[in-house]
Amino acid sequence: MSKEILGTTWTVYDADTLTQAEIYGKVLTDLGKLNPNIVALTADLAKSTKIGKFGDEFPERFFNLGIAEQNLFGVAAGMAKSGLLPVVSTMAAFASMRAAEQVRTDICYQNLNVKIIATHAGLSFGSAGSTHHCTEDLSIMRAFPNMTVIVPADGIETANAVRAAIEHEGPVYIRIGRGFEPTYYKNEDYGFEIGKAVKLREGTDITIIATGIGVLQAAEAADFLKENDDISVEVINMHTIKPIDREAIIAAVKNSRRILTIEEHNTFGGLGSAVAEVIVESGVGCAFDKVGIPDEFSIVGYPEDLYSHYGLDSNGIIDKVRELMGKDFEEDDNWDDEV
Amino acid sequence: MDKELIANRLFTHAVFPVIKVVLQDDAFYKKLFANVKARVVIKAEDKGGALCFDNGDFKVEYDDLDRADITFSFSTIKKMNDFLRGKTVLPKISGITKLGLLVKVILLLNSLKIMMPNVRPKKEEKKYLKVKMAFYMATTSLSQLNKVGDVDMKKWVAKQPDRIYQIVIEDTDIAAYLRVKAGNSKAGRGVYKRKRPFVTMRLNGLDGAMAVLLRDVEFVDAVGKGFVSVEGAPEYAAQMNDYMMRIQAMTT
Repeated sequence: MSKEILGTTWTVYDADTLTQAEIYGKVLTDLGKLNPNIVALTADLAKSTKIGKFGDEFPERFFNLGIAEQNLFGVAAGMAKSGLLPVVSTMAAFASMRAAEQVRTDICYQNLNVKIIATHAGLSFGSAGSTHHCTEDLSIMRAFPNMTVIVPADGIETANAVRAAIEHEGPVYIRIGRGFEPTYYKNEDYGFEIGKAVKLREGTDITIIATGIGVLQAAEAADFLKENDDISVEVINMHTIKPIDREAIIAAVKNSRRILTIEEHNTFGGLGSAVAEVIVESGVGCAFDKVGIPDEFSIVGYPEDLYSHYGLDSNGIIDKVRELMGKDFEEDDNWDDEV
Repeated sequence: MDKELIANRLFTHAVFPVIKVVLQDDAFYKKLFANVKARVVIKAEDKGGALCFDNGDFKVEYDDLDRADITFSFSTIKKMNDFLRGKTVLPKISGITKLGLLVKVILLLNSLKIMMPNVRPKKEEKKYLKVKMAFYMATTSLSQLNKVGDVDMKKWVAKQPDRIYQIVIEDTDIAAYLRVKAGNSKAGRGVYKRKRPFVTMRLNGLDGAMAVLLRDVEFVDAVGKGFVSVEGAPEYAAQMNDYMMRIQAMTT
């Protein structure tokens, strides 16, 4: 008989090899072998955030500060000041909100070389509830001077982001999910570069600019729309929210004149806002809309259900594109016309 | 709800409609019923269905069960179900004077045995028929299981947003889907075009589909051995497969 749905395990078969958290844990451990200055810090979440893998390999370079996130970031700032390269991992809600002042004042104000890997971001913590969802962090982190903000599309891109962040001088905020998200990329060789968007699909009718889990969904939506609706959709993976790739946005506006942004974040201050700022500043007109969490505390449920509820899955994106393209579809809500 | 009542609903609303596949795709039956215009009722108590033949066209009706050229009546729903399961149960037949039609209908009902899990057709055209009928029947049964009020299925459907569960048999034109949305369900033939499927189960041709239908391999092994590939959430596909196995147990 059917088993109870546990949620968030929708790629459970790949969980050990492809998820964001698993991959970053492994990559960080590999980087630790090359760079003895890398130290890892967490606040009692070594296992959940996967930074514990680094601790298993380098116990003398691993620090569990206990459930004290403000202290966690203060200590990281001190370590960076003394020449170490701290990588701090905790849940996004704690990194961006509980410890916001320490990230801003201790780390960003001094432009210190601290890397923050914020897990369980967006809606990925599903059933843990609205308090553990994190749909405000991009707007908060984007507002801090000196901060670089990266939202990888999947585990493969997370590996690239972690390597790039270690190479990058200054604070970096890498936002990832819980660790069970489906992947878009097949390998790491596609030219990841901080601040440079990646074009995934060519198209002329509309451009979808997506970040994080929205990237795979946007690409799948584009393929579906091309095949079934004859709508040509350009898809851009905007993995870096700050500094944002202005050239790519303006080129997209000139190309399709219709921009749709997709983010697992509220629609205030995140990717959509960042893209809108660039468009307005460019003076080039276009149709524009944002898909994200509206002005509310997100509801509780399995991530896959929440993505559907907020239109962040491929079908939500398909519906939004059809709406923007003025394609009317008759509702298919007669449940009795079964063959 | 009583298990036999649920099974009866599956027979009348999911198995009867796939008779259309036989009439369209099996040359022998297509020819046999090409010029038949008749209404054949199979019923027990107040449950049942009318098989409506109209010179090559076919549909199932569920009302007006007293109007028929031939009626197969059973004293209990269980006996009707057992008859449709292929067991030896004799119905009361009215309209027996229309002997030609009766023989055709009995032959046609007998052809449904191809869907039984122990029937292994060798010829490609029979494999095609079995696979097509089985997956059409399975998707409709899943929806009917919800509509008839099966507790587990209702719970499964109630919790889901608008989702398409698509089944595709590779290298054939066979495709069927189940759509669910917050308690509602609907089955359909072909590939659903309005939305992207939440889960697509791709069976590797007729032989891959046969391996799954005949239970030569369990679902997880079937994925591992390449008989089935799943696009989307594998655990949801497994849940759907669990329900299909349950339906098979109820109707055989």
